[in-house]
Amino acid sequence: MGRETLGSFEHQILLTVLRLGGEAYSVPVVEELEERAGREVSQAAVFIVLRRLEKKGLVKSRLDDQTAKKTGRIRCYFKLTPLAMRRLKESRREMVRLWEGVETVLDKV
Amino acid sequence: MRKTPRPNFLLQWAFRLFLSPEESRAVSSELYELYEHRCTRDGARAAASWYRRQTLQFPFRLLIDRLRADRIACCADSSHRRNRLREKMRHFFGDLRVSTRSLLKTPGLSLTIVVTLGLGIGATSAVFAVIHAVMLNPLPYPQPDRLVQIYTDSPPNRWPLSVVDYQAIEDQQTTFESVAAYANRIVTFNRDDVAERIWSRFVTPGYFPILGITPLHGRAFVPEDAVPEAERTAVVSHGFWRDRLGADPDAIGRPIKLDGNDYRVIGVLPPGLGPLEARRQIFPILQMEPPQRKGPFYLGLIGRLRSGDELVVAEEELRTISRRLFPLWESSYEDRTATYGVRSLHEYIVGDVGTRLIILLGAVGFVLLLASTNAANLLLARGTERGRELSVRAALGASRGRLLQHLLSESALLAFTGATLGVLLTSVTIKSLAVTGTSFVPRAAEISLSGPVFWFTFAVTLGSVLLFGLIPSWQATRLELEHTLHTSSRGATGGPGTERARRMLVGFQFAIALPLLIGAGLLLASFTKLQRVDPGIDTDHLLTMRISLPRSTYEDPAAVDAFWDEVTGRIGALPGVVAAGHGSGRPPEEVDMLNNFNLEEKPTPSDQAEPVVPWPVVSPDYFRTLGIPLLKGRLFDERDRDGAPSVAVVDQAWTERFFPGEDPIGKRFHSGGCNEPDCPWTSVIGVVGDVKYMGLDVPAQGTVYEPQLQNTWWGQILFVRTTGDPASFLPAIRTIVREVDPALPIANVATMDELMQNALDSPRNLLSLIAGFASVALLLAAIGIYGVMSYFVQRHRRDIGIRLALGAGPRAVSRLIVGKGMRVVTLGVVVGVGVALVLTRFMTSILFEVSATDMTTFVGVTSGLLVTALIAVTLPARRAARVDPTTTLREE
Repeated sequence: MGRETLGSFEHQILLTVLRLGGEAYSVPVVEELEERAGREVSQAAVFIVLRRLEKKGLVKSRLDDQTAKKTGRIRCYFKLTPLAMRRLKESRREMVRLWEGVETVLDKV
Repeated sequence: MRKTPRPNFLLQWAFRLFLSPEESRAVSSELYELYEHRCTRDGARAAASWYRRQTLQFPFRLLIDRLRADRIACCADSSHRRNRLREKMRHFFGDLRVSTRSLLKTPGLSLTIVVTLGLGIGATSAVFAVIHAVMLNPLPYPQPDRLVQIYTDSPPNRWPLSVVDYQAIEDQQTTFESVAAYANRIVTFNRDDVAERIWSRFVTPGYFPILGITPLHGRAFVPEDAVPEAERTAVVSHGFWRDRLGADPDAIGRPIKLDGNDYRVIGVLPPGLGPLEARRQIFPILQMEPPQRKGPFYLGLIGRLRSGDELVVAEEELRTISRRLFPLWESSYEDRTATYGVRSLHEYIVGDVGTRLIILLGAVGFVLLLASTNAANLLLARGTERGRELSVRAALGASRGRLLQHLLSESALLAFTGATLGVLLTSVTIKSLAVTGTSFVPRAAEISLSGPVFWFTFAVTLGSVLLFGLIPSWQATRLELEHTLHTSSRGATGGPGTERARRMLVGFQFAIALPLLIGAGLLLASFTKLQRVDPGIDTDHLLTMRISLPRSTYEDPAAVDAFWDEVTGRIGALPGVVAAGHGSGRPPEEVDMLNNFNLEEKPTPSDQAEPVVPWPVVSPDYFRTLGIPLLKGRLFDERDRDGAPSVAVVDQAWTERFFPGEDPIGKRFHSGGCNEPDCPWTSVIGVVGDVKYMGLDVPAQGTVYEPQLQNTWWGQILFVRTTGDPASFLPAIRTIVREVDPALPIANVATMDELMQNALDSPRNLLSLIAGFASVALLLAAIGIYGVMSYFVQRHRRDIGIRLALGAGPRAVSRLIVGKGMRVVTLGVVVGVGVALVLTRFMTSILFEVSATDMTTFVGVTSGLLVTALIAVTLPARRAARVDPTTTLREE
């Protein structure tokens, strides 16, 4: 069975969740992405992609009741699954291989 | 706490549809969290705009996501059920396509139906949007059902409270979480050389916490701010901060001058406050000196009930406090019947606008019914013409259900096109109301095309589809197949069943149109009476404006007198000025003070409330300037100064109310609740004509005038009578006032003619709306009966021809047609009168000197409608009489 492809935004979100410690909810993901990408990121898009990633088995969600008890706020945390970690490693390896020797070409352009 | 932006209905709907309840709660919560972060980072305005964008993106993206998922699922699963659904959808879209084509073939008819329905649906939805925002929507404060307003209850009057009342309630109550007092005042704000009149509300520290409002910048009041010796502080509205403090974040701590006193800005409120604060720009701290007596009564009181406590419990407790308090202050306050009352804040804010809105909704609802009936009638005529087409379809195997579905899809198409037009109309109306309606609709800023309004429009549209679509479709599919196919095309234009249905619909139209017309007639009669009310003054060539002297700079009454002497003296000397005077009341609906008094000869028993009347404080020239006639005794003059015996001028109504048939000159009274032996007596020195101060529709109850020279009143209205256009004197008057005191603003400038027009605005608006709807109703009903009878004549040309050939005179034929038409009309009118008798009763409270069952109006309007119907019926009748029997019979 062929692997489902990972979109570029999906990839970015997985990396952001990883950067935030492997588990995060939409607010820090949006802020971190905006910080890194330097442009406005839609919270709706982030939330929907996180849901899609869950369907692909790359993240697992849980509702955080602990915060809700303290602050009245309820949050939906998404945690990277081992599958996601494997996919990220693979994609990194692939990318590094693809980039090998190309940086110098780019620098000349 | 920052005010939560409201998620729009689309978002709520999308969440419900696509997310589980937990997910939806989490997303809403995270959305709000990010909104808060952005408020801090980018400011409230940018954050609000971001929030709006997100709430629009969410439904859209969720929908796309779902469609994508469905596409995948659909490929994998081609179950039977899905196929059947698809088949149905195919039918539906097929019908829609055919309907569009067939409706486009009769563009005139389709357009008429779409426009009339659109207007009906649009108007109904717009009025509902107002009702929803004003009456049904909870107030935009946290837990609004626990917010109440407390007042002095002295039936039939409701007063504000005194400092004594507020302090007692605050100390002794247990049913409220807290209570807060406020006093509305218009203050002078000086900035550089400009003096402005600013709507302000002085509040106690509890005010903002009760309403759940926290400042956007700076801090709210703390109890220490309210101590009389403390530095005076103020919280400003977002608009004030933006427009007058340059939206400067460093404005916190800045000193400002209000009415000549120093205040320090300590906080800025967030934008978009609730209806209670909507028009107030600045909220200075309310510092209260320990009271010496119970009065004056100028405080508003709001409270937040403890959860679980009922309004009635709170009311009972307040009454107990009032009873406890009474003996302590009996010397300064004698009204034993007065106690405290409490009502929901919603009731206080919305007031009596409800009746008008319900009447309006009834009227537009009737118009929509008429428009639907009209559409039904037109479609009936069209359906019968299409008998052949339908018969062919049936012969080819279409079931009756399928035909019905096809015809209903046409109606639905018409109705939803109409509804689209209606929604556009509603949104335009709502936008303009939110801007212009603030003066006559409470909570106008909250009117929006929200979810409930959307669903209401949808339901109304669906209802009208059923009403105007079902009857014609049912009739059209009832035609007997064989019969229709065999008869000639002319003969196929509908059976007796269709005719009966059409006549019934027309009768129904008359039954609806009549109550509307009678309602409009009653309002017109009431308005005419109101227009004829004599305000008691000469309204021509009279310019008025408000000038309030700040107490801080004019502490000495002599300074006030000197100011007015100079200003009126110089204005009076202007060429073209006949007279200039000033006073604290401006007819026809403005007076700064109502006061109670106790007559020497007829003292009020101690367990009863003293009479209360309008109490203008005026200059000697006031009466001459306004043209108020002196009927007896004398007017105020230079003798009536401070130190001289207290005097008053009363009006005719006062004399008739308290001293009927007697001479009131020389009668004496105590005023303002002062009943100690050493309280000064005030003597009546003159009687003048009645003047309206409480509104044109309020019956005269007596007025007492006091001289400004004995009773200093800082806020006054200047009146200038001129020979030419009064407005042209304004620049000269401004110059004079500025020369005497440059720091004084002039406010509320208006000619008396304008004020009289304004006083009639509200009834005039309602009248023109209802009259507009009634005209539409009249037109639709007349067109309806005309159409039906024309059709009748056309269909029975042959019978008429035979009758004429057999010797019946044209007159007899005419009579026959008119009689047939008028029978329908009369039946409708009889039902209509009955409906009107029931419905107009709800109008009693807004009618002035006209009974809700006014005979003249009922008879006049009914006969008017009958005459119109007669004209509409006579036209086809005359056509019938002109039928040439030979031609008609040969045609057949």
